[in-house]
Amino acid sequence: MLLYSILFPIISVIAIVLFLIRYLTERQSLITTILWAILWLFVILFSIFPKASENFARLFGITRGLDFIIIVVFVVLFYVIFRLFSKLDKLQDDVNKIVKEVALSNEITLDDEDE
Amino acid sequence: MEYDVTVEDKNQTYVVLPAYNESTRIRPVIEAIAEKGYNMVIVNDGSTDNTLEVITECKRKYPDKIHIYSLLINRGVGVATQTGFDAVLSFSPKYVVSMDSDGQHSADDLDNVIRPLVSGEFQAVIGVRPFDEMPFTRNFANNVMNLLTRIFYRVNVTDSQTGFRAITYDALKKIDINAKGYLISSEFIREVNDNNIPFAEVPIKTIYTPETQAKGTNAKEAIKIFIQMVRHQF
Repeated sequence: MLLYSILFPIISVIAIVLFLIRYLTERQSLITTILWAILWLFVILFSIFPKASENFARLFGITRGLDFIIIVVFVVLFYVIFRLFSKLDKLQDDVNKIVKEVALSNEITLDDEDE
Repeated sequence: MEYDVTVEDKNQTYVVLPAYNESTRIRPVIEAIAEKGYNMVIVNDGSTDNTLEVITECKRKYPDKIHIYSLLINRGVGVATQTGFDAVLSFSPKYVVSMDSDGQHSADDLDNVIRPLVSGEFQAVIGVRPFDEMPFTRNFANNVMNLLTRIFYRVNVTDSQTGFRAITYDALKKIDINAKGYLISSEFIREVNDNNIPFAEVPIKTIYTPETQAKGTNAKEAIKIFIQMVRHQF
């Protein structure tokens, strides 16, 4: 048995457990937890049975199993980056709103400086 | 017919000044505006130097002319100007001007900039900088931004990146600006155009120093504005 087929399933199990903890502590939605769990289960599957990736690859018209895995990884990474980018953008907007509101409700007067 | 800007007009005009780390440059700008008889709303944009102290010292000198607001952290010229516009609405002025606080713009141009509003002919004014006096890189970046403003916002103006602009109170209430950085210049023009607000272009002076050249729309800012413009299309 190759090293990656031991190492990757261990990492995947740890990841699934962490995602479950995040869900149980209400820091993550159920749907996000399920989607991440499915992804990590596939990592376990392809680590233990590398040949399985070829079957999935053929489904999408890709010849090599490894190519399929690389493409999936790229798609997932791009999606994650997009989500992070959107969330960051929303957070920036929220911060702007708060900073603006705080400033508007606290006009600086000379009395403030004298205190 | 040439309209005179009266003392009453000046009393009903508020100049919005967003200020970020301008402690060495802002004092003469404030004093020149105050001496001309205009009111000011100065927004300290989370400066890390003593800009706020300098502004407060100026307020001691002109207590009735200056209103100060301070953003807790630096959020960029877009948010600082929006804050100034929101603050100014509570004073119900007749005219609102926004200009740079780094000394790039001259207070001598204030009368010329609000004159088209006073005459009632226009409801917004864009101060046009002399492009032939600009350093080459700045000139190029501004020409590119004019082209992008024309493509993405469908407005053809001589200077889309000017920080010197004026608008009537009623027109200001109609426009909705959400830009975070220097995009505010193009977004202001887009909002004015989309809301069918009649606007004029008025030539203004620009005072270029090594410090003022370090700020504003350079090639890097132009790329950032371009990305934001593309994103706004979706």
